[in-house]
Amino acid sequence: MVVAIHQLTAAIYLVACLASGVGLALGSARAARLAIGALAAGVLLHTLALSLLHTAKPTPPLTDLASAASFMSWAGTIAYLAMLRRAKVSGLAVLVAPMAFLGVFLAALHLPEAVPATAPASGSVPHAHVLLASAGFALLGLAGLSGALFLAEHRRLKRHRALPGSGLPSLESLDRAGAVALATGFPLLTLGVITGAMWVHTLHGNALTGSPHEVGALVAWAVYGLLVLQRFAAHQGARRCAASALAGFALLSAVVVGMGVL
Amino acid sequence: MKLLLLGMNHRTAPLELRERLAVADPAPPLQKLVACDEIDEAVLLSTCNRVEVIALTRRPDAAKLRLRSFFRRELAGDAADLTPRALDEALYEYRDGEAMRHVMRVAAALDSMVVGEPQILGQTKDAYRAAVECGASGPILDRLYQRAFATAKRVRTDTRIAEGPLSVARVAVALARQIFEDMTGKHALLIGAGEMAELALGALRDAGLASLAVANRSAERAAQLAVAYGATAHGLDELPRLLAESDVVLTSIGGDRPILRVDTLEPALRARRGRPIFVIDIGVPRNADPAIDRLDDVYRYDIDALGAVASENAEERRREQARAEAIVAEEQQRFEGWFAALRAVPTIRDLRGRVEAIRARETSRALSRLALDPERREAIELLTRSLVNKILHAPLARLRREAEREEGMAYLEVARLLFGLDDADWDTTGEGAEAPPDPQGPGPDEP
Repeated sequence: MVVAIHQLTAAIYLVACLASGVGLALGSARAARLAIGALAAGVLLHTLALSLLHTAKPTPPLTDLASAASFMSWAGTIAYLAMLRRAKVSGLAVLVAPMAFLGVFLAALHLPEAVPATAPASGSVPHAHVLLASAGFALLGLAGLSGALFLAEHRRLKRHRALPGSGLPSLESLDRAGAVALATGFPLLTLGVITGAMWVHTLHGNALTGSPHEVGALVAWAVYGLLVLQRFAAHQGARRCAASALAGFALLSAVVVGMGVL
Repeated sequence: MKLLLLGMNHRTAPLELRERLAVADPAPPLQKLVACDEIDEAVLLSTCNRVEVIALTRRPDAAKLRLRSFFRRELAGDAADLTPRALDEALYEYRDGEAMRHVMRVAAALDSMVVGEPQILGQTKDAYRAAVECGASGPILDRLYQRAFATAKRVRTDTRIAEGPLSVARVAVALARQIFEDMTGKHALLIGAGEMAELALGALRDAGLASLAVANRSAERAAQLAVAYGATAHGLDELPRLLAESDVVLTSIGGDRPILRVDTLEPALRARRGRPIFVIDIGVPRNADPAIDRLDDVYRYDIDALGAVASENAEERRREQARAEAIVAEEQQRFEGWFAALRAVPTIRDLRGRVEAIRARETSRALSRLALDPERREAIELLTRSLVNKILHAPLARLRREAEREEGMAYLEVARLLFGLDDADWDTTGEGAEAPPDPQGPGPDEP
């Protein structure tokens, strides 16, 4: 059932991808609205899928990559839709929708059957760690996507290219979206790191074991800490903030996916 | 019924002539026009770029003469210096399908000086509304204009003909919107003066700027502009402070050395803490050093860059025009079909009337001999009506369809002939030659 709903959600997110792509290519406001509508519908269905996953008996482990990818897509899409109320970033759907689709599609392919979590992965601390770290990752991903679109727009404006008339977000909107995503994503990531350390402490009696997982997570957290300081304390320029957010997300992705820490 | 359109526009007549013929209130001349025998319905469109009248008429040649006279006497006021020849040279004429197409192209801004401009649709709606209110527009032109408005909407929705601004001032506003989320709350600074810079400033102000500042070498000129635009006037010595406060900077000032350089902008950017500055440099020679492009938060567009964006937009609109013309052709065909089908209306009306008369009389005759309660009488009435409608449905539908084609006229003629619809001595009793009416009573086979 959960897998089937994930598949349906992936299909809806795919519609959002296509609609946002058409909206951008043809400058169609109607297609852009359809993309946002599809994302909203997808999120509702996705919420149902995650609720079923969470309440399944026995509760499956959420520490596998598929479950985490599904949750990250959900959190990222929710955060994006919430952001639409504060910033005119509907054009960002052209990047958010594919990411949401990929996350759910991956989850639909690899979600495990309902098996009980292993003893080390059961309990509230591992659960909280995965949820917090995944939500943080999703929001920082959103900051990275905003940064990517900002850099593309900045480049176009600097090169005096014609206006596409496609409803792409303004640089100011993208910068604001990136700032909000970073300001909310970093505390979540921090909590994810803390709960991760608590989990490791429970297992090994020591919060730091020096595993690649821990080192990678701490490096990524430190890098993001630096980015937060540069943006909010040192008032770094918008272009550099965008580039930093993109680079930070690339590093975090490498840590999460490349090292298989989840 | 024929459609006839006479008019002049920016391509066929100079501005002086268009100005003389322009009317602020189209109602009085339109009322005079439709009072003439030759004109059944009319709509007058008068804008700065065109003056044209479309009329529905049964006598197109007489209507043409009437419209020419209307342009000369009513609109031009019988000016002695406006010769008939000069008027003829300026006027264009479209009939039927071409007239329909022209109305649709005008509403969709395909015939405008700036293709895709948004004003003409509103002006066309105003002209149509005025014609409706003064009783000059009737069912045919109503339908044509509704179709034209729908066509204009389709063109705007389905093509990118209206996208991408074409004037330097509008391009500047559109670029500002690519940089800033919202123009409200933003501050602009005009350095110097000049027609194009002032146009751009006006367009930006209309977009919702919070405040404007004008800086000039001449305090008097700065004060004049400040009054005109509701701005504050400053000297050039205040530039460092003004730059730090301004989101949009328009420059159009004389001088050999650029006034905006890296060394003048860097302190302003530091004070702005990463907030961008949009520099619109309309000065010739340029007032902003191109080297400022290396500053991340400065977006500089000079007159060439703005012009290049406008040209690319114009090119894009030209590419989209072919798609828009196809939409117009499709809608024109649809309206032409409906308009042509109107030719079938008199035949259909006559045929229906004749058959209904027969049905009513025969039913009445039959009912008068049957002692039926009202409910049963009603049932028989319904039955006969239903029979007539069902029998007539297919031939009438065919007549309507055929009337849309020029060759289909033969069907209408045959129908009139077969049913004797043009016979002046039609037997009103409906009995015909084979069963002559019996004024004395029921027929021999009737009870």
